[in-house]
Amino acid sequence: MTLFNFRPELRGSGSFSGQSVPRQLVLELLNDAVWAPNDGLREPWRFIYADNDSSGRLSGLQEPAPAYLIVVMKEESDPYKRDEDFAAVCCLMQNFELLACERKLGVRRTMNNWIYDRKQMNAFGVQDKERIAAVLEIGFWDGDPGATPSPQMAEVKFDLL
Amino acid sequence: MSLAELIRGRRTIRSFNQTPVARELVAELLQQAAGLYPSAEDAVWRCIYAGTPESRKRLADYMMEHMAGSRLGKWMPGKMIELFKKRFADIPGHVVVIAGTGPDRQASDRNYAAVCSILQNFQLLGWERQLGMLWDTEPMMQSEGFYERLGIRENERFVGVLHLGYYNKAPRGRSRTPAEKKWTVYAGSQSLK
Repeated sequence: MTLFNFRPELRGSGSFSGQSVPRQLVLELLNDAVWAPNDGLREPWRFIYADNDSSGRLSGLQEPAPAYLIVVMKEESDPYKRDEDFAAVCCLMQNFELLACERKLGVRRTMNNWIYDRKQMNAFGVQDKERIAAVLEIGFWDGDPGATPSPQMAEVKFDLL
Repeated sequence: MSLAELIRGRRTIRSFNQTPVARELVAELLQQAAGLYPSAEDAVWRCIYAGTPESRKRLADYMMEHMAGSRLGKWMPGKMIELFKKRFADIPGHVVVIAGTGPDRQASDRNYAAVCSILQNFQLLGWERQLGMLWDTEPMMQSEGFYERLGIRENERFVGVLHLGYYNKAPRGRSRTPAEKKWTVYAGSQSLK
């Protein structure tokens, strides 16, 4: 298989079945995903995993899902580094989503309002010099997978200098 | 090669050989890359490609123009600047990537995240074709003058220049911190608030 021929059931939305997500699987995929390019090997990420939220705090902020991966990134004071770090974290999440897809695991990447709310962030243990890049909602898709037709993709704008 | 092997095997390439890169391939891989992102149709972005000797030289001039006027540039001998320019102009291709910005931080972040993710797909797809890349975000290059030269508009932001080409030798990978060491489990706050 090549990535070029990879035609995954790319779904960024849809509902999950009740099947639980094995933590080991998420960790395994993350250990591949961390091979994302990142400037100066700063590895500006860390993960807060929630698959047993006894307080139900997340259920008020996110759509129902068997598991949530809160992707936390360091917030550098240098704006250039901050952008580079955000880009690196996005590469990591993209790796993770591709790998998950290959294993029939569904991922919905969300960047809801609350991730910008310092008080909400702190409740999950996010520190002051950190932010939440995104929350990945993880589960096995409910219903027939391959049925979703890929949306009409516009041509990428590619101008010559 | 499995997907995991591809992701683990990809390297940032800084030294390219002179094998020409087909413009059509670059455009095709970018299109593929967008197709591997779930809601790519919502992403607002564009690319400017410099793949001819003439356009590469022009881009190198744009990149160094501001640097030459900067404090460091004034201190840098003209010969060195010319050397930098030549190095850039010798690279087979450069993709300048520009993303749209939204009405607020959340919208801008979402779009920037989408574009960065598509670029990771692009880097992986390139790697699969022995095409190496360097995603360049050198702060010294990021100047108003440079943006103006590229025609970056008010509601847009610069994402980076991806230098690309074939390579003779890939550097060794530098190991990553295991995910377990950067992982905590949230089980809900036990305190009564």
